[in-house]
Amino acid sequence: MADAITLPSPANSADDILREARRLREGITGDVHEHLVEAIYTDAARIADRAVTRPDRAARPTFDRTLDRIVTSRVWGFPVMLALFAVMFWLTVSGANVPSAMIADVLIGQSYPWLRDAAASLGFPWWLRGVLVDGMYLATAWVISVMLPPMAIFFPMFTLLEDFGYLPRVAFNLDHLFKKAGAHGKQSMSTMMGFGCNAAGVVATRIIDSPRERLIAILTNNFALCNGRWPTQILVATLFIGGLVPAHLAGFVSAAAVVGVALLGVALTFATSWLLSRTVLRGEVSTFSLELPPYRPPRFWRTLYTSIIDRTLIVLWRAVVFALPAGAVIWLSANVHVGGASVAEHVIHGLNPLGLALGLNGVILLAYIVAIPANEIIIPTVLMLTVLSAKLTGVGEGAGVMFELDSDEAVKGILTAGGWTVLTGVNLMLFSLLHNPCSTTIYTIYKETGSARWTAVATLLPVAAGFALTFLVATVWRWVG
Amino acid sequence: MSSVLSSLSSAGSLPGGVLAWVLGGLLLAAIFWPRRGLVARWRSARRLAVRTRQEDALKHILKSEVNGRSASVASVAGVLKVGEDRAAGVLAELERGGLLSFEGGAPRLRPAGRELAQHVVRAHRLWESFLADQTGLGEAEWHRRAERQEHLLTQAQTEALAAKLGHPLHDPHGDAIPAEGEGLAADRGRLLTDVEAGAHVDVVHVEDEPEAVYRKLRALGLQPGMSAEVRVKSPEGVRLQVADLGEVELNSMLANNVTVVVRPAGASARGTGGVPLAVLPEGASARVAGLAPGCRGAERRRLLDLGFVPGTEVVVELKSPNGDPTAYRVRGAVIALRREQAAHIRTTALERAVA
Repeated sequence: MADAITLPSPANSADDILREARRLREGITGDVHEHLVEAIYTDAARIADRAVTRPDRAARPTFDRTLDRIVTSRVWGFPVMLALFAVMFWLTVSGANVPSAMIADVLIGQSYPWLRDAAASLGFPWWLRGVLVDGMYLATAWVISVMLPPMAIFFPMFTLLEDFGYLPRVAFNLDHLFKKAGAHGKQSMSTMMGFGCNAAGVVATRIIDSPRERLIAILTNNFALCNGRWPTQILVATLFIGGLVPAHLAGFVSAAAVVGVALLGVALTFATSWLLSRTVLRGEVSTFSLELPPYRPPRFWRTLYTSIIDRTLIVLWRAVVFALPAGAVIWLSANVHVGGASVAEHVIHGLNPLGLALGLNGVILLAYIVAIPANEIIIPTVLMLTVLSAKLTGVGEGAGVMFELDSDEAVKGILTAGGWTVLTGVNLMLFSLLHNPCSTTIYTIYKETGSARWTAVATLLPVAAGFALTFLVATVWRWVG
Repeated sequence: MSSVLSSLSSAGSLPGGVLAWVLGGLLLAAIFWPRRGLVARWRSARRLAVRTRQEDALKHILKSEVNGRSASVASVAGVLKVGEDRAAGVLAELERGGLLSFEGGAPRLRPAGRELAQHVVRAHRLWESFLADQTGLGEAEWHRRAERQEHLLTQAQTEALAAKLGHPLHDPHGDAIPAEGEGLAADRGRLLTDVEAGAHVDVVHVEDEPEAVYRKLRALGLQPGMSAEVRVKSPEGVRLQVADLGEVELNSMLANNVTVVVRPAGASARGTGGVPLAVLPEGASARVAGLAPGCRGAERRRLLDLGFVPGTEVVVELKSPNGDPTAYRVRGAVIALRREQAAHIRTTALERAVA
């Protein structure tokens, strides 16, 4: 090609030069920019090969290769994966109880009465004490005591596996399934993170470098049942589903029900990904790449530190920021009276027709509205609102204050008095899976996508699915029963 | 449930007349609202349909002119898929608008008509390039979407698009994109059916109409930028040895939709040749020869970023439990690629002396 270049003489006008440039470009096939990029890479590679000497050792250690053969093998790949995650979840759920109880004891059992007394002795009017202590403080204390321990256990374990290099192998194993749904194998990692916390799961989608697949992962993350929803699921399953079968089967059946709801969430993740990738996200750019980094011993303390700082505390901080005003709203709604009844009772009355049509009730819907900062406070809020609206006396800690009870039987007593049936229990479990993400997650989705539109889709899509499913279940239930 | 019903029935207690007025007013607004009402929408859709037909007719006449064919009322009717009366009506509209004149019964473009037609062609080809390089839409959609978009892009938008794409010279089908204000060049090359056996050719254009034929060509994998040798030629069709695909048989209908230029003897083949990385067995190693021409845009840049550059050594390291994706070792990193991606990467055997 070099012989084709004739330098234009200085007399030539700019137009001539442009025309000559165009003529030369026409001699090049394909995109000229890509040729340039390719040439630069090739040059860089040649220079590097000449200048860099590598110590004489195997390009990949045999240890890595052997381990890879096992964790990605047809026979052992999936069992190893399932076993690891079963252990992780078991450690999280069972290990979080003790520190949770300790924190609750300090923040709620000891500090809360002290703060109430302090407010009284400082001469706060009753409503100010109510908003500050019974509302804002109590809601925040609740969120911290239920949310912090599971996250502080789950995130470091997750990060250790990530640091060791195992998680990319999981994405590698599962990519086949996600590809069928039009998604990226790395979505398996953000989904698993979502089982810990959806807000953290949404942040974890940053590892997906293809814009379309990343958006899919963000929009479907809420279908992963997060830590904040497990206690609700377990409690309701124990009370209402376990109660249907003989006592010796109760534990097994209620556990199966909870796992079933979680699996339904996974199925919905795939179904929604499939639907999104074929409808609204059809034209978005999609590329795939997944690096399998070498295994390395996890840096334990450093991992612990960064996962506590980066993941746990950031998520907790956002939850606290949202819990404070929500606590005030919860307290005010239960304690501000209009026309002889509290605001909450009016709203519950208004929501009841919709709630009952969905096989739920007005109390549950209101609880999901006011408990938007964190799914953790659903049960205390439901109990408070049920006592309030059913005019029960002798339980709880005072008018319009969230509480939890030590015995499951006492909880069931209150709920049954509030009109709960087995259908309510089943549909609450479904609605707990399928409703709007908590405010922390919504805010995180907005930060990550930078788009109000996608945030609205991510928020409303699960609510719509939840309404549809619970309505369907309730209708069939009533028709059959 | 019962309170839902009672709240519904309470709506019935509104005076019926008021409700009727309100509903009627809303209905009228929905129909006649300026710019957003049904009537306004219907009229703008009509205007667009009329303009689309006119512009498509101009485009057809321009393409005929530069390729030395002559357009007629019948050929315009064929392109617009309307009857001849209708086509004659469209041409008459264009003549009244000063965009074309009739010389000896054949429509000829006047300068204003030529300028408009060139803009439409340019917008079409730029939009196809945009869809190919910057979206995830499949090849099957490019032409159809560009057919619509070419009538919507203004001059300024078209220029902005060209600048954004780096002023490409060819669209993904291999057609030249005319420069702003410059005339449309005649199509390069010859139809594959006009080439003798034994010739070495470069594919420069794969016609995207009619759709059914284009779909078959796409399924064969034939794309602009590929090099081929014409092995056998007969009235029934052509057998090609394509550098990137191996042997391909085209019947004459398919061959008639492929344009090629004949390469002078001695010029080196374009295309990359070699074996797709995707077919190599586990444990094999090879050298990257290049990326297939069909791999474009973000996908191509991603593969280059990962180091799949000509000359690089690749080892097939590991298959996932389902056989897809597969992990490859390239430049010391282990990278997993899906099967379609690995099919874009062409490799040649490793010379043993170097290894």
